[in-house]
Amino acid sequence: MQSEPSRGRPDHNISMWGAPGSGKTTLLAALFIALTRRNDDWKIVGSDPASSDYLIERTNALSRGKVFPEASMALERYHWTLIGPAPQKTGLWGRKAKPGPPARIGLGMFDAPGGLFGTGRRPAGGVGAPDGAGDPRRQELLDSLEQSRGIVFLFDPIREFTFGDAFDHMHAPLARLAERMLASGEFTDGKLPHHIAVCVTKFDDPRVLETAEKRRLLTVDLDDPYRLPRVASEDARELFHELCQVSASGNADMVLNALDQYFHPDRIRFFATSSIGFYVDRRTKRFDWDDFQNMVPGEADEDSRIRGQLHPINVVEPMLWLGQRLAAIRPSTEIS
Amino acid sequence: MPEPDRDLSRKAIAQALADLADTAPLTLVEVATDGVTTFLLQRDGNGSPRGRSWSATWPDLAGERGWDADPAETRKAVLRASRAPSPFGEVILVAASSGDPKAEQALDWLRAAHPAAQVLRAEAPVAALVREVMADDPLTRSYELVVVLIDPGTDRPRLTSRQLFPLGSRPGARTRVSVRCEAVGPNGTAFAVVTWQGPEPRLLSVQSAPLAPGRYEVTAELVRPGRVSFTGLPALSPDPRDWNQLVSALPDRLPGGLGPAHLVCAVEVCGADDQVAERLSRARQVINLASGELGDLLQVSLLAYAAHSYDASAPEFPVRVPAWKAGAGEALDALDALEEQGAVARGYPYHPQAAQVEDMLAVVAERLDWADPTPTVVLTVGGRPPHPARTDPSMILPCPRRHDWRKLLASLRKRQGTVLGAICDQATDQTHQAWHGIGATALAHLEAVDVRGLAAALGLVASSPVHLPFPLLDETE
Repeated sequence: MQSEPSRGRPDHNISMWGAPGSGKTTLLAALFIALTRRNDDWKIVGSDPASSDYLIERTNALSRGKVFPEASMALERYHWTLIGPAPQKTGLWGRKAKPGPPARIGLGMFDAPGGLFGTGRRPAGGVGAPDGAGDPRRQELLDSLEQSRGIVFLFDPIREFTFGDAFDHMHAPLARLAERMLASGEFTDGKLPHHIAVCVTKFDDPRVLETAEKRRLLTVDLDDPYRLPRVASEDARELFHELCQVSASGNADMVLNALDQYFHPDRIRFFATSSIGFYVDRRTKRFDWDDFQNMVPGEADEDSRIRGQLHPINVVEPMLWLGQRLAAIRPSTEIS
Repeated sequence: MPEPDRDLSRKAIAQALADLADTAPLTLVEVATDGVTTFLLQRDGNGSPRGRSWSATWPDLAGERGWDADPAETRKAVLRASRAPSPFGEVILVAASSGDPKAEQALDWLRAAHPAAQVLRAEAPVAALVREVMADDPLTRSYELVVVLIDPGTDRPRLTSRQLFPLGSRPGARTRVSVRCEAVGPNGTAFAVVTWQGPEPRLLSVQSAPLAPGRYEVTAELVRPGRVSFTGLPALSPDPRDWNQLVSALPDRLPGGLGPAHLVCAVEVCGADDQVAERLSRARQVINLASGELGDLLQVSLLAYAAHSYDASAPEFPVRVPAWKAGAGEALDALDALEEQGAVARGYPYHPQAAQVEDMLAVVAERLDWADPTPTVVLTVGGRPPHPARTDPSMILPCPRRHDWRKLLASLRKRQGTVLGAICDQATDQTHQAWHGIGATALAHLEAVDVRGLAAALGLVASSPVHLPFPLLDETE
């Protein structure tokens, strides 16, 4: 990802990455809504007019239109900056000092059609290596991954159950990225220098929630007024592993192995994520185990719709975790 | 002492025949001027007397050696000719000749061999007398006609028998019986007479005739033991079927629609206009057909249901009951109103993948009188599946009222005399699995429904004629 050469240059860069249809666009739109609901002054701002337009358009579609944002049919690059609250510094003799600069995390997303690296739907006409190493669009994604030190990787368990192609979309970029990092001398210990937040998406799907419930992985945040079920980050890896068991191709377990091979164990974190969250009745304002489905499938030629209010789960947390970890490695400002 | 009187001989033979046990035979040896004739009488499985006879002349018995050449051998030949009865059988000796030395000698040998035997004196050959006694033998078992009775609760036919002639009946006895005959089968209606020994009937005789449906006053006459004739019927002829074939020809159940019925017709009225019109049209066809067969015996309820709305700003069309236990005419009027109203758009297409089937079932279950034994048909005409009671992997939103269609269907299926039928938009091999429960008894495809076949399967109209192998007992007699 290209750093902004301007005054608003972010301190760290994060790249979003995942198979087509894994929910990158929806996650981004949900991120704006989730940040707006928080009271800690974190916000997301477009780094250029196109990125701002994209964010506004997708967020409106999600929040007002009750429909899932359409995935882009062409490779597009977008850049936003997550801006945190400005830290208060205490001045000499206890006097109030001027606030420090707020935390900034660059967020880049390549909203690409399927098959950029996957084997199933490779764009026609491309010339180059079988994994697309010569394709300029792939080069751009690799550039972005190389220049960032934080990755948000989206794993869609429902897609994996249906198509089983998560490993296809992960393996080639990882291998190419490792090749680049080795060439640049940043693969010396046999691991990539990146932190990776693995988001197990569609946690709101009854099948995913049921899997988590059966494995007794669910918890409830006592401060959550809706009492929405969640999976703690330390348990999300087990959920991921469990969901891998029903992969259509049987290759999902290799995703887990690849993560362990390429990343330091302490730089991997799993999140059970839902961009739309669970349905909560407006009157009761409480999660209902009998009625929590927030996504209504459309008819054959209609898009799925969102039934009620959005309650994004673990959408902000991966970004902030990456921001905190990157700040700890190269502290430039405090991440709260 | 010999009894010269013919009547006395007749009485003696008749008494011996009456005392005849099922297993031991009665041996009657007639010694005449020309030789020996042996009659062996015994009862068959139905208690009817059966007889056989063997004759041997004196030359047959003495052979070429002559009567006096070897008396011991001649004696043995005479005793063999008497068919040496079993130790338990009764023996009667009949002297049909007086003064003939060979006959007297033979009689002496036989009397010595059977000292307990009665000795009768006859002036003429006894063969005719034996036949006369057998033909006049009183029944040792009751003769009964096989008939069919219909169980009023289940419409299931069951076999029973009606007594024609009690024990002791003699030839010439007559009995009248009223029967009904249903549709004519290829083998006609069988008039089977059985006797009972223990729990199993034993077929005595079976004759059949292709009887036209209707009521018959039949007179049965006992011609002789083992033979019953019937009058009041077309000519009967022997039936080639054995007992097992006759019994297996009895159907499990008679076609329904023979009594009152309650047709509950629930129609999904959301979706495309032409689809809704087609569903209502099918409901009308079923009501018309059932009404045509049952007339005033048919009560009709009509329900209309649509889609749930999960949008608070779009109130849903609740389940409506335009007619409940009404006459067919009133229900058809209500159907007219639904047709004029057309498809309900409220709540649609917000949740396009299911409808209020479970709410409809709840209304039906609540409205039905569970103590009423009237056969009830719940016919659902629609396309969408029900909503689950709670969120499940089907991705269909749960029923807002948490009605559980599985429990409701199970409850209705347990209700006495209740059957479930359905006409579904989709073909049966493509429809949602819930429709196989909604149409548990009969499930038809909207576009290719055989309305008469469906109505027959649900017991609303008679199906193809059912042939009863035996006459129905007319209990109105």
